[in-house]
Amino acid sequence: MSDIGSDGVLAGVKELSPIQKLAMHGLVFLIIFGGWEVGARLGYVNELILPAPTSIAYRLYEMFFVTGSIYWHYIITMYEATMGFIIGVSIGMGLAITAAISPVFRRYWAPYAVVFNVTPGIAVTPFIIAWFGFGWSSKIALAALVCFFPPFINTLTGLLHIDKDATELFRSLGSTKKQFFWKCQIPSALPIIIAGLKLAMTGALIGTIVAQFFSASEGVGILMQRFAFRLNMDGSFAALIVMSLMGLSLFTLMEYMDYKVLYWRRHSRMEEVGSKRKRKWFAENGDFSA
Amino acid sequence: MAEELVIQGSALGKQFGENVIAVEDANFTIPRGSFISLVGPSGCGKSTLLRLISGLIEKSGGDLLVRNAEVVGPRSDIGMMFQKAVLLDWRTSIENVLLPDEIRGTIDTDAKKRAWDHLQLVGLKDFEFSFPRQLSGGMQQRVALARLLQTGADIMLLDEPFGALDEFTRERLNDELLRIVEGPDITTIFVTHNIQEAIYLADQVFVMTPRPGRIAAQIEIDLPTPRNIDMTTTPEFNNYVQQVRDVLAGHLDGQPL
Repeated sequence: MSDIGSDGVLAGVKELSPIQKLAMHGLVFLIIFGGWEVGARLGYVNELILPAPTSIAYRLYEMFFVTGSIYWHYIITMYEATMGFIIGVSIGMGLAITAAISPVFRRYWAPYAVVFNVTPGIAVTPFIIAWFGFGWSSKIALAALVCFFPPFINTLTGLLHIDKDATELFRSLGSTKKQFFWKCQIPSALPIIIAGLKLAMTGALIGTIVAQFFSASEGVGILMQRFAFRLNMDGSFAALIVMSLMGLSLFTLMEYMDYKVLYWRRHSRMEEVGSKRKRKWFAENGDFSA
Repeated sequence: MAEELVIQGSALGKQFGENVIAVEDANFTIPRGSFISLVGPSGCGKSTLLRLISGLIEKSGGDLLVRNAEVVGPRSDIGMMFQKAVLLDWRTSIENVLLPDEIRGTIDTDAKKRAWDHLQLVGLKDFEFSFPRQLSGGMQQRVALARLLQTGADIMLLDEPFGALDEFTRERLNDELLRIVEGPDITTIFVTHNIQEAIYLADQVFVMTPRPGRIAAQIEIDLPTPRNIDMTTTPEFNNYVQQVRDVLAGHLDGQPL
């Protein structure tokens, strides 16, 4: 074995052609889900504990294409999670920016945000329901509460950890605080802020669904619970898969934002953006070398 | 020859806190158009002295005049360059060079033209729209140099600007720097801990010693200009190296390192 250690944990895995790789993935998929299906069909697995993949798939098909019952729940849940995300992120980042600008605020007020964070947000659900009622607002409030901290702490960290040389450079150029904030602090902090937003996105979805479990008349969370209470396990699992789909779509959205905004962290993007700016420059200014 | 003094320090001092004396009793005059090297070991106050002149930090005592006016803060005729290039990663080279104009609100076609020319001057043709992470360390420092030129400052304070680069790149950039700042207009103060580099570049070397930070000697370097790398093997050059070494040795003997 000459290639031991050359590519870490994958050392020793034989390199396959793309078609072989695809076949391999298909095989593994088939073993897992085929085995599960056969187990369920033959009665080795209790349908009340783990329904067969095909029953779950059928239930999903029914929800989306026969009755269409899922769409409303889907939209409501996404709406609640997104609103909660926007509110939580706005509060978190707003507080972080205030704390970054004002040392007094940072010192005397920000510690409460930390206390707030170490209190498990989910545990506050009963209060939230009591304060905001059974409608959308309590879901949005819990989502906002659960997701506010990562953007807060990440934004604050990002804004405060600025290279000392960059500060000196801007000062020596006669920069105002405002110029420094917008031209240096904010862009420098963007990578860590966006990492915080990714965490917040997941948090918002969790908050929404937990609040729905507690009390709701609409949403994927309550749908799942209704199925479960009726021992309709394939329905429950279908709802779970819908939640995964929601998580995945929100995550993809965040990844896309990361890709678009943080172009200077990817080589292919830098080339793309660089040549775009070059075209723009020549269109506006002509070629100074000519 | 009536040389115009641009920078003058007398009994200049800087103390941090109760008992850290970073610079003590510094007396010097720097004529316009000259190239001064500040050389000395770490902690000898050379960076502090540079920051005093730049107006980034306040002196604790003595006098410091730039163009006959007390230094009270950063001024537009003084530009700085650091060991790190300190480029904004999200900006292309040309956008980084235009930063000084952006901050001063003087961005126009003329400024853009100058930025373009400065990038050509430092040898970055065809890299105008590259991002810092696409450039090597040496090229990043070239962008930083172009940005310094863009400020229009005629007093340039350089804090070990090529210290993090490899020997070959450093030698080349030193030569290019000399070419750019030569002439009667630009006054340069160059901080380094490399004795050869200090002598090679400068008209005058200020040798600094630590605890407390003092200018222990000011040595005129009477080598022909323009300098070239072959001079570094001549006996005259080595004499200067020895002089600097002697000053440093005299002060460092018996001091804990």
